[in-house]
Amino acid sequence: MILKTKSISIRIEGELVPTREGKTILEAAREAGHPIPTLCHLDGIADVGACRLCIVEVGGSGRLAPACTTPVQDGLSVVIHSPRLAAYRRMIVELLLAERNHVCAVCVSNGHCELQAMAAALGVTSVRFPYRYPALGVDLSQERYVLDHNRCILCTRCVRVCAQVEGVHVWDLMGRGIHTCLVSDLDQPWAEASTCTRCGKCVQACPTGALAEKGKAVGEMVKRTEPLALAAGRKGARA
Amino acid sequence: MSLPKLATVWLDGCSGCHMSLLDLDEGLLDLAAQADLVYSPIADAAQFPQGVDVTLVEGAVSSQEDAARLRLIRSRTRVLVALGDCATTGNVPAMRNIVPVQRLLQRVYVEGADAGAAVPTAGVPPLLPQARPLHEFVPVDVHLPGCPPPPKAILAAIGDLLHGKPPKLAELKFG
Amino acid sequence: MRKITIDPVTRIEGHARVTIHLGEDGEIERTQFHITQVRGFEKFTEGRPYYEMPGITARICGICPVSHLLASAKACDGIMAVRIPPTAALLREAVHCGQFVQSHALSFFHLSAPDLLLGMDSDPASRNVLGLAARYPEIARDGIALRRFGQCVIERIAGERIHPGGIVPGGMAEPLSQSARDAILKELPEAFAIARRALDLYQSILDRFAPEIESFGKMPSMYAALAGPAGELRLYDGRLRFLNPDASLAAEIDPADYAAWIGEASLTDSYLKAPFFKPLGYPAGAYRVGPLARMNVATRCGTPEADAEQQRFRERFGPVVESSFHYHQARLIEALYGLERLRALLEDPRICDRHVRARAEVNSPEGVGVIEAPRGVLIHHYKVDDRGAIVWANLVVATGHNNLAIGRSIEQVSRAFIKGTRIEEGMLNRVSAVVRAYDPCFSCSTHAGGVLPLRIELYGPAGEKLDEMC
Repeated sequence: MILKTKSISIRIEGELVPTREGKTILEAAREAGHPIPTLCHLDGIADVGACRLCIVEVGGSGRLAPACTTPVQDGLSVVIHSPRLAAYRRMIVELLLAERNHVCAVCVSNGHCELQAMAAALGVTSVRFPYRYPALGVDLSQERYVLDHNRCILCTRCVRVCAQVEGVHVWDLMGRGIHTCLVSDLDQPWAEASTCTRCGKCVQACPTGALAEKGKAVGEMVKRTEPLALAAGRKGARA
Repeated sequence: MSLPKLATVWLDGCSGCHMSLLDLDEGLLDLAAQADLVYSPIADAAQFPQGVDVTLVEGAVSSQEDAARLRLIRSRTRVLVALGDCATTGNVPAMRNIVPVQRLLQRVYVEGADAGAAVPTAGVPPLLPQARPLHEFVPVDVHLPGCPPPPKAILAAIGDLLHGKPPKLAELKFG
Repeated sequence: MRKITIDPVTRIEGHARVTIHLGEDGEIERTQFHITQVRGFEKFTEGRPYYEMPGITARICGICPVSHLLASAKACDGIMAVRIPPTAALLREAVHCGQFVQSHALSFFHLSAPDLLLGMDSDPASRNVLGLAARYPEIARDGIALRRFGQCVIERIAGERIHPGGIVPGGMAEPLSQSARDAILKELPEAFAIARRALDLYQSILDRFAPEIESFGKMPSMYAALAGPAGELRLYDGRLRFLNPDASLAAEIDPADYAAWIGEASLTDSYLKAPFFKPLGYPAGAYRVGPLARMNVATRCGTPEADAEQQRFRERFGPVVESSFHYHQARLIEALYGLERLRALLEDPRICDRHVRARAEVNSPEGVGVIEAPRGVLIHHYKVDDRGAIVWANLVVATGHNNLAIGRSIEQVSRAFIKGTRIEEGMLNRVSAVVRAYDPCFSCSTHAGGVLPLRIELYGPAGEKLDEMC
């Protein structure tokens, strides 16, 4: 016997929205035509609530919750856009821009970057926090692809797509707090990560210019995420 | 009724933002009719004057002289506009920030010299440890990101500011 | 001993400061020329993938990013060990011509014409392109239109007017469409007309500047420029020729061997280094580059109208033209050459072919890219590890080669025009004007930002400030 999930309804910006138990607020909102800004979300792979851009105000108290990891409940009321949420989202983007070295002008993803687009969409024209300018490296060991830590926002889309869709889990995070960084296998140069199949899914999944194909000049790295969702769906990879 | 006073300055930049302004082509002459250009690298004003209405500043702050000039400009300007990514985020000049200044100067003037190998010190301003955006030194009223910002965006912002209106900043992105 | 400081030099690209030292008798003792900014591209690009260098080095300069893009792309071609497709070579040279036209238009009309047409002693408040537009609207419009033509060529071929993304290692990112080609060809006649008008106008007013011509760096010097097999003018590819002051050939080399022939000296009082011809050592090996040098080095331009103008130039000023004042005319001749060459390139049947990019990985540990930028010889030299990370970069940038010549010219002009205890504004403007004649790009030459405006202070023997002018 197949159990169907229960039909429920929630309110988004006051509007009654029918949905089903088991969905997240993000899914329900998008299906109802209310997109919510995200960076660490990627269709087809599990959500982790890393970037916090999708925070919404829930319930009467206006409590903040990340829409991508918060399940819907019958009768829940959700506010997606408010001055407070806009301010927090801008702050998140500014913190990301200040944390590492995002020089859009000379980046391989200039014009095709989700972080750059998010900043423009939110009206971020300057960063109020002092730039850190950390000295971070570029892993050019692998023959086809390159990892530039300066451009990484630790969204972990690469980690998840490699683990859940390709199924080999090359990438993961090492360290804590401000010292967190992406590593391949046991913190080895990418070319020495024996689990890597060179499929390139991580490159396509990466929202910025951190992971890219070698040889791409400024602004040439255009990515496609729809094939990843397709592959994930076929594999039943949703965790 | 006198025209509002406009000034432009370049600090540690490449002059590309000024070139973008010149890319207004004939539109530059229309702009000239709306404002009095009282100071600019392409004009011969000797000192930065008092009472400037709008100043566009291109480039990051990279030396002690840049910082001093910026502070002077801030004190004599009503509306300060950070023009372009270098002024707004540090951009390419700030790429030197991961290298200690002495190492940088050693590489350029000692290792990179066939004669007279020594770091210049006479009559040149000391570099700051890092090249940083304008707003870390003085309050900035408007930021126009872009490398360079498109001419129309610069014109739209100046036009609004000269008439005392908040500038429209739609469709501006870094890079 | 008294000291005059000019801070900033206006109407140039970048920042420069001049210090003039006067003796007890009021005569010029010596002058110093300070460039006050440095960015350090040669150091901070270490670790970056080599194929990012064109985009990064474009940000050395907003007037001539195409120069850096081309030299950098050529150096990357060397690292990849590729020969770019023929159409890519045509397109790169075409965008280079577009850049020559816009850069020279800017230099002549926007930066120097205020001195030449309004007068060196005219009121500083209006001695700029807007003042020019008020007094000579048609000439200002000509300048704006010629610069716009060049910028549009760059945009159509390489994607954007400033920091275009279409010049890449291995060739070009995009081929040229028929419609873009036709659009440029349609605008060419008007550009030609403007260039011819500018040359005629300039030659008609030249007699007003006899004292300046005599003192604006009128000195024997070596010259360096790229040239073809028979010594023809070359902007994109060629062999590097060094000419002696008497026009005999000092050396002709493969530009990739530049390091054996060109040394760089660090100066104590400027962030700009001074390149020199190694066989003669520093500072005897000073040489000039740029339009004047190219007109002296080139046996001919290779296009009919420019050839005729070069002929006229030599008939009037000699087989080797020495005064740096004549950079202005050389620049205008080159603008004409750029237009003629552009037309020839666009009329090549291969210009719209689709194959414009060679692809390869790292095949050589180093690459050298040398072109003639509008301001002179430009060298990008990179070394990479086997993964393609830059381990060493050297940039010798056009205006830098002219460092010593500019310094000497400043001294010559100062001696000719600065007299007594009062500084007249026009005297100082002439010092600035000789710097402008070289059309320097100091952001480029120090691969560093910073342009210092010129401020002039006159100090008495006891160190008291006698006069000041900014």
